[in-house]
Amino acid sequence: MNRSTIKREVDFQIISDWIEPGSRVLDLGCGRGILLEHLIKAKDVYGIGVDPDLEKIQGCVKRGVSAYQGDALESMHVYPEQFFDWVIISRTLHELQHTAEVLSEAARVGRLLAVGFTNFAYWKNRLHMAATGHRIENEVYPDPWFQSAPTNPVSINEFEQYCSNKGLKVQDHVYLAGNWRSACRFWPNLLAGYVVYKVGRSEGVCRT
Amino acid sequence: MIDTHTNALQTESAGEVGLVEYRDFVCKEPFRFENGESIPGFQLRYETYGQLNADHSNAILICHALSGDHHCAGTHSPEDRKPGWWNHMVGPHKPIDTTRFYVVSSNCLGGCVGSTGPTSINPVTGRRYNLDFPILSIADFVFAQRRLADYLEIPSWHAVIGGSMGGMQALQWALSFPDFVERIIALASTARHSSQAIAFNEVGRYAIMQDPEWKDGNYELGEGPNMGLAVARMMAHITYLSDKGLEVKFGRSRRQTDSSKNQFDVEFEVESYLRHQGQSFISRFDANTYLHFTKSNDRFDLYGDHEALEDAFAEMKARALVVGFTSDWLYTPEQNRNLAHAMLLAGKEATYAEIDMDLGHDSFLVHAPELFRLLSAFLSN
Repeated sequence: MNRSTIKREVDFQIISDWIEPGSRVLDLGCGRGILLEHLIKAKDVYGIGVDPDLEKIQGCVKRGVSAYQGDALESMHVYPEQFFDWVIISRTLHELQHTAEVLSEAARVGRLLAVGFTNFAYWKNRLHMAATGHRIENEVYPDPWFQSAPTNPVSINEFEQYCSNKGLKVQDHVYLAGNWRSACRFWPNLLAGYVVYKVGRSEGVCRT
Repeated sequence: MIDTHTNALQTESAGEVGLVEYRDFVCKEPFRFENGESIPGFQLRYETYGQLNADHSNAILICHALSGDHHCAGTHSPEDRKPGWWNHMVGPHKPIDTTRFYVVSSNCLGGCVGSTGPTSINPVTGRRYNLDFPILSIADFVFAQRRLADYLEIPSWHAVIGGSMGGMQALQWALSFPDFVERIIALASTARHSSQAIAFNEVGRYAIMQDPEWKDGNYELGEGPNMGLAVARMMAHITYLSDKGLEVKFGRSRRQTDSSKNQFDVEFEVESYLRHQGQSFISRFDANTYLHFTKSNDRFDLYGDHEALEDAFAEMKARALVVGFTSDWLYTPEQNRNLAHAMLLAGKEATYAEIDMDLGHDSFLVHAPELFRLLSAFLSN
């Protein structure tokens, strides 16, 4: 099973468990709408996907998932505060432009955020860099520097520190080991390969 | 409109609807317009392609744009040079698949191609309506089409589809008859005209009304303000294209000039093209209908008295696909985005897609694989 399939299943499971039936969900970087299709079927959510790529939007249309072709940040400006129960930023955090603005806008239009990403400080990445002096290339980071899209890899510690600085509260998290399946119990910033956060605002605006 | 014929590249498996005939629906019940005036009955010209299934659940309505008509697919005779205006989109195994759907392509009330309009005889006076024809609205088009649906024993539309003014009709259908419409596809459409769009229409109307042959709308059949109508069409046609589209198609290329003619005769290819558009339009379109139709477009306003556009969509039940085109500066991508956002804010199922094409507002009429895939997927789901 390839990595993207595992990641998709992990997202399905964790995010499905968190989301209450009938919620309003905005999925930033929704791709072909596979996660939203699942949430619509399993949790009867009202879901909207956002993706800049027309081909991805075609995939959403095929699945009967509502989607908006456009920029993640701009697409949120029209919504009033707390319009969505959930804003999902899964597997797109490192690809965002204006990351801080997107996170802050997501926290405005959503009561809760589900944020999932691969932990760049995972020990194998560190070891590889220390041993070879090259950035890692594998299934997760497939392209060499001169071919890859600009990305902002982020670690668990960095993200958690960012949240606490910005008035965002991590209400729950799932740390997964390097296989992205079994739970990671110790030293997550070193040993976890994948993480999904449930994030709300600190001021107590958020309900769980 | 753009010559769609030359752009109609077919997918390999797709067939043709072939020879078609128009039909006339004659409604003998009085029709009350949105403005309160009535006519004793009306005729609406339409075409159908494909077969209505046993439970009458596979009907699709296609609404035409300002200068379009009911003839959107197939040909009327083997000698026809061009098929209908959306032939590449409608047919066996095409995106609007006539092996699956019963497609109804309806003319608009007030039109000049076989439906009751300003050129028709007013049974009360025995003379042509001309300017006495009641003020038309997009909702009037839709309510007349609703009577056609009843006549065809169609209880609901699988989808209502249209571009530009056709998109306005699709939107209006979903709002006027929420239970009748399962899906709408609005291409290159808008919730209301911008000031600029009204401005362009006004120049066209003014050209018509300043033509001495207009005679306050009381010209005889076969006569009329041809010069004004041609100018209106030439000007409007520019708004349907784009700077880049014109540049690619014509650039600054010149025609062979005839030195015996005056120096202001046709010189550039683009001039020749526009003159041809103007001249061919006067042979098929009525000036009073043009005045009525452009006004109905200018007055169309889904915002109405609502505080926000999303309030207009509160009653909509249809799922919507809204498509904007990057080079459309008449009904801009932003106006199309606003439509989709309003639907989403109202909690409706809606999708916005944007197609990158150079051909301006008329992009929706042209063969584009991206649009094929979108429509095909949306209608199948």
